[in-house]
Amino acid sequence: MLKATGLTKTFNAGSPNEVRALDGVTLGFDDGAFVVVVGTNGSGKSTLLGALAGEFALDGGRIDLDGTDITGWPVYRRARWIGRVFQNPFAGTAPGMTIAENLTLAARRDRRFGLARALSRRRRDLFVQKVRSLNMGLEGRLDHEIGSLSGGQRQALTLLMATWVKPRLLLLDEHTAALDPKTAAVVIRLTREIVDRDRLTTLMVTHSMQQAANLGDRLIMMHRGRIIHDIRSEEKRRLRAEDLLERFEDVRRIEALDASAADLLRSRYV
Amino acid sequence: MSLLISAATIGFFLALMVLGVYITFRLFDFCDLTTDGSFALGAAVAAVLLTADIHPLWATLAGAAAGCAAGMLTGLLHTRIGVHGLLAGILVMTALYSVNLRIMGKSNVPLLSTPTLITLAEEFAAHRLGAPENVMVLGWAVALRDVAALVLGAGVVVAVLLLAFVFFRTDLGTAMRATGDNPVMVRALGADTRNMLLAGVAIANGLVALSGALLAQYQGFADVQMGLGMLVWGLASVIIGEALVRTRRLGLVLVGVVMGSILFRLLVAIALRWGMEPNDLKLITAVFVLVALCLPGLLERLTRRRGAADHA
Ligand SMILES: Nc1ncnc2c1ncn2[C@@H]1O[C@H](COP(=O)(O)OP(=O)(O)OP(=O)(O)O)[C@@H](O)[C@H]1O
Ligand SMILES: [Mg+2]
Repeated sequence: MLKATGLTKTFNAGSPNEVRALDGVTLGFDDGAFVVVVGTNGSGKSTLLGALAGEFALDGGRIDLDGTDITGWPVYRRARWIGRVFQNPFAGTAPGMTIAENLTLAARRDRRFGLARALSRRRRDLFVQKVRSLNMGLEGRLDHEIGSLSGGQRQALTLLMATWVKPRLLLLDEHTAALDPKTAAVVIRLTREIVDRDRLTTLMVTHSMQQAANLGDRLIMMHRGRIIHDIRSEEKRRLRAEDLLERFEDVRRIEALDASAADLLRSRYV
Repeated sequence: MSLLISAATIGFFLALMVLGVYITFRLFDFCDLTTDGSFALGAAVAAVLLTADIHPLWATLAGAAAGCAAGMLTGLLHTRIGVHGLLAGILVMTALYSVNLRIMGKSNVPLLSTPTLITLAEEFAAHRLGAPENVMVLGWAVALRDVAALVLGAGVVVAVLLLAFVFFRTDLGTAMRATGDNPVMVRALGADTRNMLLAGVAIANGLVALSGALLAQYQGFADVQMGLGMLVWGLASVIIGEALVRTRRLGLVLVGVVMGSILFRLLVAIALRWGMEPNDLKLITAVFVLVALCLPGLLERLTRRRGAADHA
């Protein structure tokens, strides 16, 4: 169970390009929840995921995962419990190492790295079996460098690696944004399969209204570092892509109103 | 022939240093200037212990351990205090110059009258072969001492290579290699990359110091200047080794690095024989490294421009 309370983060505080990336985000969800996060560019989605993963120190707030306060934990320590797939397909794998070597690291995410042989026969057999389940024909290429694979193949492997040891929380940040539509569809289907099979607690950022409408059992919309909509259960099930677009349009209108009001004030008083 | 043998022997001893440079520079993408200091440190510690009648084996291992400590210091400065990697290495290297002088008490410690690993190897060989003055190698008479040193160097290198090969294929070793390749991923998979780097730099400098300790015993003295330019020498050897094997398969690269060390030492010996000014050696090595590191990029840019011109 994840509980994030009053998360705040300001980048470049005190300088002219100060940004309130997280402005008091409070969010809680139960085990097995699949939460989709949408919002305009710069609304703080990636910052929220980064905060949960421990990429930077928060200015305020606290994060509890399964009853443990992990607010001060560094990335590598949280990694025992949190799996991640990045937007950039090159970020999640070590390009100069083979598929098998990458997988072997992922298979030990919850333990310390010791002096056991990295690639035993048994582990290899397991790798072949799991990689075959991706249906990408990669099981015959376990000893190829990952750098020689396509972005979609690497992203599918990253997903496999992030969920190899069952994470208590899975963070997906636009993990299909850099892929062509067909590959994106494959990776999304895979995501759904793995999340359903292992009942993973998942937080997924996306810009695709289609994905946002079809996936997950809850949706939050962010704007300027805050959660402005939180749509659950029955309402989420009925939500269609068009409804979402409408909500984005609302945000845009308010934004425009704000801007014109500011203009008005400026012309009056400045 | 004795020129070849002595070049190969020194090549073997230096191969340990080259392996250290390979670990920091290639696996961790970390240009570690501690190398110059820890090479002399290993020699200094071993030499002082040898003159104090400590068994050569322990003296040599103590030299290597001192190198590990120096590497760890650099690693700590970099990962815990946040000193820039290059600067951390420079600081430790500079400090080590004074430390080495302190350890030795003077700038040069001769080892001609004490037993060393080399003399032990020679005694062992004499015992086995019935004490001939010379042995025939490919039809040439070679001093027994030279052959013993060569075999000792080769033996140590093979043992270290095997250890390295096994270690870098364990879970920890694999994580260390991945750290240089993609640190973000390694952190996301639960390893503290700072500790990985720390361990890597410590191991590398242990090898460098071991190399220095052995070379001091071979040449019969430890000198505070003997580490000067070692990093660049190591880079040159790594580059040659990689060119020889042209692959990233771990086992082959490790062997290639050793071959690079020996080949480079041979090339230098031949060049010196042909009348190259020894004082120019470091200049030429530096230019070689510069060219070898920049040439691929330059060539690529050239061909790309040519390609663009063809399209136009
Ligand atoms: N490391 C950083 N330093 C300075 N500013 C940052 C940093 N990271 C994010 N920001 C700023 O914080 C705000 C929120 O960024 P964030 O990346 O969370 O947005 P996002 O919702 O993920 O946007 P997108 O949909 O474009 O990915 C932006 O204004 C961004 O410029
Ligand atoms: Mg983002």
